[in-house]
Amino acid sequence: MGPWERLPQLFAYGLVSGSVITLGAIGLSLTHSILRFANFAHGDLMTAGAYIALGFLLVFQRIPALRGHFGRLSFGPAMIPAFLLALLGTGILAIAIDRLVYRRLRRARPVMLLMLSVGVAFVLRNLILFSAGADPYYYSHRIQRAIHILGVRLKVDQVFIIALGFVLVVLLHLFLTRTRIGKAMRAMADNPELAQVTGIDTERVIAWTWGIGAALAAAGGILSGIENKLITPQLGWQALLPLFAAVVLGGIGSPYGAMAGGMLIGITQELSTAFISTAYKPAVAFGILVLMLILRPQGLFGRR
Amino acid sequence: MPLLEVRDIRSGYGDMEVLHGISIHVDSGEIVTIIGPNGAGKSTLLKTVFGLLKPTAGRVFFQGQDITGLPPHRIVQLGMCYVPQVDNVFPSLTVQENLEMGGFILRGDLRERLERVYRLFPVLRERRRQRVGKMSGGERQMVAMGRALIMDPSLLLLDEPTAALAPNLVTQVFESIQRIRDSGVAILIVEQNARQALEISDRGYVFVDGMNRYQGSGRELLADEEVGRLFLGG
Repeated sequence: MGPWERLPQLFAYGLVSGSVITLGAIGLSLTHSILRFANFAHGDLMTAGAYIALGFLLVFQRIPALRGHFGRLSFGPAMIPAFLLALLGTGILAIAIDRLVYRRLRRARPVMLLMLSVGVAFVLRNLILFSAGADPYYYSHRIQRAIHILGVRLKVDQVFIIALGFVLVVLLHLFLTRTRIGKAMRAMADNPELAQVTGIDTERVIAWTWGIGAALAAAGGILSGIENKLITPQLGWQALLPLFAAVVLGGIGSPYGAMAGGMLIGITQELSTAFISTAYKPAVAFGILVLMLILRPQGLFGRR
Repeated sequence: MPLLEVRDIRSGYGDMEVLHGISIHVDSGEIVTIIGPNGAGKSTLLKTVFGLLKPTAGRVFFQGQDITGLPPHRIVQLGMCYVPQVDNVFPSLTVQENLEMGGFILRGDLRERLERVYRLFPVLRERRRQRVGKMSGGERQMVAMGRALIMDPSLLLLDEPTAALAPNLVTQVFESIQRIRDSGVAILIVEQNARQALEISDRGYVFVDGMNRYQGSGRELLADEEVGRLFLGG
């Protein structure tokens, strides 16, 4: 099959990896819009989420009623509480890190916070390495046969990833536009000084931002573990480059831009494999990042 | 007892003292305007009263309570709101969302409070779903004032509400300010459009170089020859 005939199939794969990138990119964009620094530890929050889910999964799989699989999916009922607890746990972890580390330097320059986040990233990754070891894990070794939909072949897991990514993005949209805290998050992204003068409890908004961003990162990490059948301490760190590319592509600080940017990066990376080696996927993300920074630093949908 | 009493305030930015011992007061339900040349310390006074700057000496009393050094979000809860001169709206939020942010700390149902602001500024009701970033300067100023009024404050601090507005909008904003006063809110304004501001003011102060040079009723200041020559453009 020539490269052009493979494009629909690769586009479908792009939707899958785009969903994972989007979930990670949203949190990166949210924390950037409110705290004004690039959080290099965000990828490691994805890793933390993947490992926390793994831990809970091993516990819940001991309960006979939760064993087995959902239809042709690679996971079963035990994954549901494991997934939810991992989102919660990663959210709490991020808020705790903020209280312990970032909060002391609220008024520091962005580059100081960026360096600090690199340190946090190392600590997180090595804590995971220390407690879980360097060997890779997987949520399941179930072999899945692909199904045919709309002319492309996808595993049921992959269809699930696209669907769940979509649902989480819609939920986030409703949160940002319908709830008091969500609106305050958008207000703070617009103008933090005015938010304070208005009487908005900025520390509470910051805590929610970390919690939501980290929970979505955890979801991305878990879905990445399901898709790649591989969980390693490097999972999130390796994903960081496409995350940044997605955030810059969509316009730094705009969660909606991050959603579009995540899908575009995922799709472009997969489509590129029709013409160049798969090994160049990171180079494609990096290329988009550099091009955007030169040609349109405000992003595709950026205002300024 | 005055609603707001500022006593011998010294304040400024870092080592630079801008206010060298200012005393003013605002009574319930009156409009008080501070005029004076650029750099006289008018905006610095508002920021100091609202807790954005810490005074090095002197005290601020609000409703008889010493509020010197309280942070802005506590002062808001006591019933004083502040509208900054620039960047005083959330541009990517709708009109209604901007107003809701004004009542963030109230938690409860804001419907009645929104209704009151919409009665004061009917044009905002028509545009409540519109993003504020796309609105004109005059409408933004109404959104900014409306957001402060959601808290139902007893005192509103306005920092140059007509700066950079077209002349017909200036008149419109001053009309809104009078309507706000008539609804029972005291207002302390810092203003460049000195003449128009004094015309609607109960009292006024003239600041020069961080000192209080003149004070009197709006009419007295407008009639005063020296004030007129020096600060009202003849």
